[in-house]
Amino acid sequence: MAVLPMQRISLCALKKDRKEILEALQRRGVVEISDTLVEEGVFQKTDTASARTVLEKGIAASRQAMAVLNKYAPESKSIFSSLEGKKEISVEYYNQFGDKRDETLELAYRLIAIDKNIAENRAEIPKLQTQIESLTPWLGFDIPMDFKGTRQTAAFIGTFPPQITEQELDQNFRESNIEAVHVEIVSSSRDQCCAFVLCKRSDSEHVDEILRMLGFARPVLSSAMPPAERIQQLKESLLSLQKNIEGAEDEVKSRADQRETLKFMADYYSMRLEKYEVINHLMQSRRTFVLTGYIPQCETDALETMLSQKFDAVVEFEQPFEDEDVPILLKNNAFASPVESVVESYSLPGKGEVDPTGVMSFFYYILFGMMLSDAAYGLLLAAGCALCLLKFKNMEQGMRKSLKMFFFCGISTIFWGVLFGSYFGDVVDVVSKTFFGTHLTLSPVWFTPLNEPMRMLVFCFVVGIIHLFTGLAMNFYQLALAKKYKDILYDVVFWYALIIGLILVLLSQKMFTDIVGLGFILPAAVGNIAGIIAAVSAVGIVLTGGRESRNPFKRFLKGLYSLYNITGYLSDVLSYSRLLALGLATGVIASVINQMGSMVGNSPAGVVAFILVFLLGHTMNIGINTLGAYVHTNRLQFVEFFGKFYSGGGRKFHPFTVNTKYYKFKEDHNNE
Amino acid sequence: MNNWGIVFALLGAVLAALMAGVGSARGVGLAGEAAAGVVTEDPSKFGKVLVLQLLPGTQGIYGLLIAFITLAQIGVLGGNAQMSIAKGLLYLLACMPMAVVGYWSALRQARASVASIGLVAKRPEQFGKAMIFPAMVETYAILALLVSILAVSGIGAINV
Repeated sequence: MAVLPMQRISLCALKKDRKEILEALQRRGVVEISDTLVEEGVFQKTDTASARTVLEKGIAASRQAMAVLNKYAPESKSIFSSLEGKKEISVEYYNQFGDKRDETLELAYRLIAIDKNIAENRAEIPKLQTQIESLTPWLGFDIPMDFKGTRQTAAFIGTFPPQITEQELDQNFRESNIEAVHVEIVSSSRDQCCAFVLCKRSDSEHVDEILRMLGFARPVLSSAMPPAERIQQLKESLLSLQKNIEGAEDEVKSRADQRETLKFMADYYSMRLEKYEVINHLMQSRRTFVLTGYIPQCETDALETMLSQKFDAVVEFEQPFEDEDVPILLKNNAFASPVESVVESYSLPGKGEVDPTGVMSFFYYILFGMMLSDAAYGLLLAAGCALCLLKFKNMEQGMRKSLKMFFFCGISTIFWGVLFGSYFGDVVDVVSKTFFGTHLTLSPVWFTPLNEPMRMLVFCFVVGIIHLFTGLAMNFYQLALAKKYKDILYDVVFWYALIIGLILVLLSQKMFTDIVGLGFILPAAVGNIAGIIAAVSAVGIVLTGGRESRNPFKRFLKGLYSLYNITGYLSDVLSYSRLLALGLATGVIASVINQMGSMVGNSPAGVVAFILVFLLGHTMNIGINTLGAYVHTNRLQFVEFFGKFYSGGGRKFHPFTVNTKYYKFKEDHNNE
Repeated sequence: MNNWGIVFALLGAVLAALMAGVGSARGVGLAGEAAAGVVTEDPSKFGKVLVLQLLPGTQGIYGLLIAFITLAQIGVLGGNAQMSIAKGLLYLLACMPMAVVGYWSALRQARASVASIGLVAKRPEQFGKAMIFPAMVETYAILALLVSILAVSGIGAINV
């Protein structure tokens, strides 16, 4: 349980080694780069914005190309793929990729172009289809659609409103004294009437006028081909479009084997992008460069040996100043480190604070177990996590830690479940009663909370008081480290005395021991002495609580206010009643499920119904109660426990490292 | 009139499940709308917002719990369902904290959840803190649950 001590690192090396040194540092991932130096004279910063733009484009292209691949040749993924983690590659592979890069980039652009091509072809299809549709009524017509007539005649090809007949048209022409007109209805439907009208060229203007009055319209699309031929032609181009699309899709699919290369290219460019961002922070002269940053003390020696063996470089380590904003990296043993992420989600330790992970992990597992408190659920949780951890060795660190955390939580759940006698609720009772007619009970090792809720409640409060006192003890430790001995007396010892005194007073009252059902009572003398101790510490708190104020009146008021904090302790302790509530919730819902399952009775159908209800119900119950236990364990840690000593505010250690999505390097030891 | 005891007792059990359940349903629905909005923008936040959405759902479970314990105590689930009116009223009263607090705390918790979902949408790294705000509201549902449990399981021993 500790915050790793950090050292400041300064490194000065030749510019010709820059690429290799940076890449080695990146793969090691133990240095956080910071630019504390100021530009002056020889040393200048370089702007790498243009280089970074190129790299960003490369990343974008590889991502887009992968999206294209996934669209036409989806990657087969199992539901556990998120657990599999990144693949390992060697440094040689990374170095060799430089030669293949242009080729791969070309492939990426080619894939993107194909995708665009497919999209364009797809957009063309509906256009052709509408053309075919609009020509279909003309199918029986054997003259090209753009036929205007001969030297002597004028032709009109177009549509009329529906239900017009040849006779009707003829009559209209006759009324206007136009004799030589040939009218032919090609097809007639509910929407329109396609017709061909031929007249003498001299009459054409007149005929045109009449036709317009009748609602004649020329077709939008005309061609120099008879409709049937044109349709044929359109259909052919439609076919060739579809063939194009298929061909393009096949080409994309044939490149599916390049997916890994594309993935690697995305990673390759992200790595280089990160490197260029670092170069942005470097101080450079014509032949040398200087790098500054932070490094965990335990890594210094190894890094120095590595650098001095391979390169001409000067490395210096020094202790950071007191007031420096040093990044925080936590290091804990295998039992405690899984809950580091919980601490991190609250806040990392600030200046002068100790890492609470170790102490917290112990309580975390205990509290979680008490809330879930079913041996079978705990077994499922622990076994599931263990199985995933064993099966997927290469898992992401974050995921691995979470699973480990739930594994330990599961173990603790088994422990409490056995103590309280809960195995899938009361499944043994129900099954033996319903299907075997016997009465079998797995009796609890300790007691059943549902039958003795008051006893369980008192136990929860005891756990709570221990938890809170541990928090106070952490405060004691922290203040002792900072050598603030007066504060220890005022802020910790007085409170211990007050709370313990009050508890002892309560324990000597008959009314209280009766309520909580304790089998013993403290003698009145102990209660009196405890009362005096409590009163003295209360006075102490009033006198010292406002010690930062000069004004005596203000100081007294502030002191009174800090004594008012006693209500805070009361509510903190009461808050631990959630251990009882959530524990009961798991057990009672589990028994509701068992009861529902057994309602069909002892028959083959009953067995099937029981199994179905059992599986469905308990899956849901595990899910909901694990979530509840997780949230409320966090709450007890964050609000009640951390409230006593911890405020956080530390900055996370962000090393210069390989932040890739798909691959990681083999030689790495700290590459999270 | 002699049979009215069991009616009141059952009314209590039903109200606990009913009100807390309705409150949770409304609460989870409200938070679900906000969560769906976040997932349209960024599907990778699904896991986080789902947790926040489910938080106001626990009141319904607590209501069920009280209803079930009450049903078992008053003999509706097999046993002798006879009791005096006074005892029936006692059960009704014992269920009230869970029913009333369950309903309103679920709604208020849902509003805190919605706000936290907004927080996670903008700053996903603050998930740990976002989870605590709705969980603070739940404390009162838990206290109500506790009072109801203690009351319901204590009434059996009272001789009225």
